[in-house]
Amino acid sequence: MSNIFITGMGNISPQKTWGDAPLLSEVTEHIHERLTCIEPDYTQWFDPRQLRRMSRVLKMGVAAGSIALKEANIAVPDAIITGTGYGCLEDTGIFLSKMVENKEEALNPTPFIQSTHNTIGSLIALMLQCQGYNQTYTQGAFSFENSLLDALLMIKEEPALKVLVGGVDEITDYSHTIQKRFGKFRERSESNLNLYKTEDGALNGEGAAYFVLSGEKSGKSAVSMEFVGTFYKADAETLQSGINDLLQQAGLTTKDIDFVLLGNSGDQHNDEALQDHAFLLFPNSSTGAFKHLCGEYPVASAFAFWLGVKMLQEQTIPWSIVLKNANRSLNNVLIYNQYFGTHHSFILLKSCRDSG
Amino acid sequence: MEQLMADLKKQIIEALNLKHLKPENIGDDQPLFGDGLGLDSIDALELIVLLQQSYKVKIDNPQDGPTIFRSVKSIAEYIRANQTA
Repeated sequence: MSNIFITGMGNISPQKTWGDAPLLSEVTEHIHERLTCIEPDYTQWFDPRQLRRMSRVLKMGVAAGSIALKEANIAVPDAIITGTGYGCLEDTGIFLSKMVENKEEALNPTPFIQSTHNTIGSLIALMLQCQGYNQTYTQGAFSFENSLLDALLMIKEEPALKVLVGGVDEITDYSHTIQKRFGKFRERSESNLNLYKTEDGALNGEGAAYFVLSGEKSGKSAVSMEFVGTFYKADAETLQSGINDLLQQAGLTTKDIDFVLLGNSGDQHNDEALQDHAFLLFPNSSTGAFKHLCGEYPVASAFAFWLGVKMLQEQTIPWSIVLKNANRSLNNVLIYNQYFGTHHSFILLKSCRDSG
Repeated sequence: MEQLMADLKKQIIEALNLKHLKPENIGDDQPLFGDGLGLDSIDALELIVLLQQSYKVKIDNPQDGPTIFRSVKSIAEYIRANQTA
C-alpha cells in the first residue's frame, strides 16, 4: 500500500495559522458567541479585480488553497476535492433575501452563481485553469473526511497524483441566528479559552484549510495519512471495534498512538463520553483538544488535520491543547473527532521522517 | 444628463464592488468592457439588473447590449430615451 503524503497545507482559522509564526505560539482569545477567522490581506495573493466578487468564504478557501499549493511547490494540482457542510452561506443569504425583496424579479446574478456548495472548488480551478477532477462533498460533519477518502482512493490507484483537498465552512449572521434558535451553541459571550472550564455548550466556529496530498514524497512531506474512518450514531462498542480494525489494517495497536487529538466541543455530555472513551482506549497516550481554538463546525476536523500535521512536522505539542501529557515523542497522532455526539471520525497521521 | 452620469458611476462602483475606483476615475466615454474598465459578462448581467431596479428600464433586445453598455454616457442616453416619466 502506498503512503499518502501531505506535501503542503494552508489554513485560515480563528487563530493566526498562516504566515511564518511558530505553531500556535500565541493563542488568540475571542470573547464572543462565535469564533471568526483571522483573515490575511488577500491582495498579497490576488489582484483586487479578482477579489471584488468573492464572498468571505471564497476568499478564505481560495487563499488556503493557494498557500497549500505554494508550500507543495505545485502550480496546478491534478484534482481538487472540497468538503463543506454549509457551502457559501453569505451569498445564499443574499440571494434568498433579494428574491423576497425584489419579488423574484431582477435578481443579481453574482450571489446566485456563488451560492452553490461547489463554488469554492470551482473558483480555485477557474483561477488555476485546472481542468482535472473537481468534486465537492457535502455530507454534513463528514464532508472533509469523505473528501480525504476520495483523495486516498485516487492516490492509491495513481500515486503520482497531486490532489488538493480541503474543508471550508463559514458563519454568517443569518446562520448563527438560526443555529442559536436550534439551541446548538452556547447562548452567552465568553472567552474561547474557558470553553472546557465551563462546559456550557459548543462555540460556533469556522475555517478554511486545504492540503496537497500525494503518493510521492517531496522535500517537505514529513507526514503521511494512514487512514480515515467515519462512524455515524455509533455506540462506544462500535467505535472501539472500529478504531481497532482501522489500527490493525495499518499494522498498529492502540499502544502505538502517541497523541490523541480530541474533538471536545465544550458540551459536557458529549465531551465526557468522548474523553472517557479515549482515556479508556488509549491509557498511555497523550491527549489534547482543539475546538477552543477554532470552534465547532462541520469541517472542524480539517483544522485538527492541520494541527496534527504541524505537530508531527515540528515535533511540538502546543501547551494550549494539552489535556494529558504522557511525555511521548510524536510518531502517530490520532484525530478522534465528534460532532454533537452523532458524527465520529478517526484520522491517523504518521511521522515519516525516516521512511521512504 | 451630467447628474445622471454621476449617479450611474457611483451605482456601477457599488453594484460591481469596484472598490479600487472612484467616480472621477471613470470617464463619461470610457469603454466599460475590454480594455476600458475590464468588465466581463457577469458584470453585464449586474448592469441589466441595475437598470431594471433603479431606473425601471428593460433591455428588450439582447443584441443591443454592447451598444448600450459601451460607456456610462451610452447607458445614460439609453435610460433617458427609454425611461417612462
